[in-house]
Amino acid sequence: MIADIHSLVGAYALDAVDDLERAAFERHLAECESCRAEAAELRETAARLADGAWSVPPPRLRDAVLAEMAETRQLPPETVRTPRLRRSRRFLLTAAAAVVVAAAGAGTAVHVIDDQRVRDQEVAARAASDREAQVRAILAAPDVVLRGQELRDGGRVTVAYSRARDTGVVLLAAGAPARSGQVYQLWTVRSEVPVSEGVLAAGEYSAVRIVRGMSSASVVGVSVEPPGGSARPTDMVAGVKIV
Amino acid sequence: MAESGTSRRADHLVPVPGPDAEPPAVADELLRAVGRGDEQAFGRLYDLLAPRVYGLIRRVLRDPALAEEVTQEVLVEVWRRAARFDPAQGSANAWVFTIAHRRAVDRVRAEQKAADRTVRAGAAALDSPYDSVADEVSGRLERRQVRHCLDALTGLQREVVTLAYYQGHSYPQVAELLKTPLGTVKTRMRDGLIRLRDCLGVEATA
Repeated sequence: MIADIHSLVGAYALDAVDDLERAAFERHLAECESCRAEAAELRETAARLADGAWSVPPPRLRDAVLAEMAETRQLPPETVRTPRLRRSRRFLLTAAAAVVVAAAGAGTAVHVIDDQRVRDQEVAARAASDREAQVRAILAAPDVVLRGQELRDGGRVTVAYSRARDTGVVLLAAGAPARSGQVYQLWTVRSEVPVSEGVLAAGEYSAVRIVRGMSSASVVGVSVEPPGGSARPTDMVAGVKIV
Repeated sequence: MAESGTSRRADHLVPVPGPDAEPPAVADELLRAVGRGDEQAFGRLYDLLAPRVYGLIRRVLRDPALAEEVTQEVLVEVWRRAARFDPAQGSANAWVFTIAHRRAVDRVRAEQKAADRTVRAGAAALDSPYDSVADEVSGRLERRQVRHCLDALTGLQREVVTLAYYQGHSYPQVAELLKTPLGTVKTRMRDGLIRLRDCLGVEATA
């Protein structure tokens, strides 16, 4: 629930959240100054844990890093200076949408939110702009609710939805392609009837889907199916209850 | 890319100061200079932070060779993005280790296959010999305080914090591993970090 999203502050500082949770949490931070202060302090604390893992790297690493540095162009400063512990809501939402879109487009599921990959033109080109706007709108909804579940064979499905907008975003981040040439398929259950919300291509194991009419959905599910998908789920690997 | 031999090692170990001699502001100043394109400052920042960046990444990935590769990526990323470091948002330390830790967690989750990790854990046992010696001497001071403060946590606080930070597990994975409800795990992560903060004397940025 959005009401207790701040309870994620420790997990957030430890990077123990998934991308969608991180995006939602950073949106929450944009709106709460005392929460930002706590998150910043816990981040500083988590960084100190690196002291406990001290290990001298091989000497050749220094030469390799300095050699690569000499050939690497630096990014310019951000043109808009952000005020202390405060970023604009718009920036955060764009970043949140970008990470979701990037997760959908790339082969791997996990991205650092402000990682350069997010800005990669290739990924940006793939992002249909209206879809990105819709994802952004859902994540920005004041009543957004997050639900998630581990998949049976590893990975995670996360659902962010807004009752007011009657729309949700499903982020599938399975750890690996489905076994033996099968594919992942997304479902909602409406009045006890499973409805397909899209089939992934063979070999794909991450996806972002916008699901409409969330108010009539009681479950968002993931199944493993023969290529092309099925009319009814044959092997469910996750089912997220929508309350 | 050849080994430059052991004399080199002594070289770059000497200037690495202990925590008493190294106020965090040093890293902040160096990183700001790096942001202005100062290559020498980058070399000094490397000497200051590389053992911790490499140590952390190696601890999370449990594979010295992969850790070396990821450490290089992270440190070059620090160079690339240094001009975007904003001291008002937090310390240089937090900025660098946020990049390093997220990158390590990224990698570990991308290839989270049990068999893989078992092989890696085996490989990690075959440490290069200089590691253990150098570790003992250079890291002792730094590690002592963190270990002392981790010891001051309750057992569950310590477990949830270390499983997440040093092993890259998400909080649902931690809950599963410890057979503990999700809500409890989230709460212990938060109050564990708060207790660590107080023990380590971490302050919000001025």
